[in-house]
Amino acid sequence: MRVLLYSIQSALKNIWAEKWINLLTTLSVGIGLLILSAFITVSLNMDSVLKKWSRSFGIVVYLDDQISAEATGTVRDLFKQDADIMEVNYISEDEALSELRDILGADASILDDLEQNPLPSSFELKLKSSLLEPVFVKKKAETIVKMPGVADVQYGEKWLASLNTVSRIMKASTIFLGGAIFIAIIFITYNTIKIFFYRRKEEIETLKLLGATKSFIRLPFLLEGLVLGVIGGIIGSLTLYGIHSLIVAKSIDFMPSVRAIIISIPDEIFLSVPFVGAFMSFIGSFIAVGKIRY
Amino acid sequence: MIEFSDVSKIYDNDIVLKDISFTINKGDLAFVTGPSGVGKTTLLKLIYAGAIPDEGNITVAGWEIRKLQQRTIPYLRRHVGVVFQDFRLLNNKNVFDNVALALRIHNMHPKEIRDDVNAVLKDVKLQHKSHSFPDHLSGGEQQRVVIARAMVSKPTVLLADEPTGNLDSANSKIIMDLFKEINARGTTVLIATHNESLFQQSGRRVIYLKDSSIEMEISK
Ligand SMILES: Nc1ncnc2c1ncn2[C@@H]1O[C@H](COP(=O)(O)OP(=O)(O)O)[C@@H](O)[C@H]1O
Ligand SMILES: [Mg+2]
Repeated sequence: MRVLLYSIQSALKNIWAEKWINLLTTLSVGIGLLILSAFITVSLNMDSVLKKWSRSFGIVVYLDDQISAEATGTVRDLFKQDADIMEVNYISEDEALSELRDILGADASILDDLEQNPLPSSFELKLKSSLLEPVFVKKKAETIVKMPGVADVQYGEKWLASLNTVSRIMKASTIFLGGAIFIAIIFITYNTIKIFFYRRKEEIETLKLLGATKSFIRLPFLLEGLVLGVIGGIIGSLTLYGIHSLIVAKSIDFMPSVRAIIISIPDEIFLSVPFVGAFMSFIGSFIAVGKIRY
Repeated sequence: MIEFSDVSKIYDNDIVLKDISFTINKGDLAFVTGPSGVGKTTLLKLIYAGAIPDEGNITVAGWEIRKLQQRTIPYLRRHVGVVFQDFRLLNNKNVFDNVALALRIHNMHPKEIRDDVNAVLKDVKLQHKSHSFPDHLSGGEQQRVVIARAMVSKPTVLLADEPTGNLDSANSKIIMDLFKEINARGTTVLIATHNESLFQQSGRRVIYLKDSSIEMEISK
């Protein structure tokens, strides 16, 4: 415990003694974390936009023209029992026609000449959002179209595919960028701690000769890495907060619609960035410290 | 307390010490001497496991040096205070902190550290320099700081390598008196020196090294 206290003291002193290198390190860590957290923010927002869009995604199941009410009920029950389907809406022929009237508006009068309603009744299905994956939806549609009483199935195939691609690209690049920054931060702290090591070689040697244990010698270095990560994280977090506030403030004036998309940064991001920084830097200094010959 | 039996040390095919055997008893104050380059520093290093013998056995305060593992070396060193020839003071720490370092590594309570360091600085008459930095001290003062650091943890054995190397005779006497006092308190002291006047007429035990082996031992 006292060793820990002394190590903390000694780490803080050393950080101050090497303030220029440390400034550079914390800035690098901070910038790395800023980029990462900004990107995560954007992709989280994108994701929620995509989710919102996908909620409106529906499969329309057109029923046979002369289908009986009983058969319609059977189909409905089958859909309701299907765990993949979240929502089932029945649209009768008449409802379909009146929808069409609404769409046509002033031109609706052309429908008046019709002797009978040409529109089929249909079900609109909403799948669980986790299942909105092109291949799966396609299979589902193929199964549904084979059901008795079903005439046709339609859904926005292309739209779904592009939605899917966008979300996949977002995910992949978040992972890629996250990995790259993770490695970069580890590498930066690793290098910094190693530089400190060489600079304090004499001191370490003296400590050893006086009878200091391995952990006594290593602890300050580990703590230094940790502190650098936390400070870098705080820098990143505050910068993100600043930039975000600025954009929000400006967008109120210029483009209110943009606001809706970018406004939300979860507090968790601000709070977790310093911890993430600390974790990454700790790993970096841990590796560096492991290289000490003793 | 310190026992060498047939110890040899080889550096790069160069036999520095050959078949060295001697015993220094608990409470002794003894000297190792011989011309420069003969292996005095190496002999001290072997005692605090700063070098490992190529042959023979060394026992220090009950520890068998050859059987020590990297992990246990620190604990041996806490029983062996060393006054290094090149001082090894940390210039970014003041006198107090340099001395305190030897206790901090022991996980000692800060208050005890303060008391012990102040007491030992008083012993070496440097309490007024407590906040000075090593490079602002004279050679004799630096030497005393190093001695204070070596004795503060109350080691069983104290080794000193050319402790009067760069000092005039007045300062040398101060230093020698310090060692005598430390020895009188019960610490076994071994001093390596090429300065014969330190031990002449002292009646103390002297180990003469010549051409990598012990030429003679003078006992009291
Ligand atoms: N680490 C080392 N590597 C190689 N040779 C060494 C090393 N240390 C000492 N020596 C050699 O061992 C011999 C004895 O050195 P040393 O013990 O320092 O002598 P002394 O202290 O008596 O002047 C010298 O020839 C020196 O060059
Ligand atoms: Mg020497």
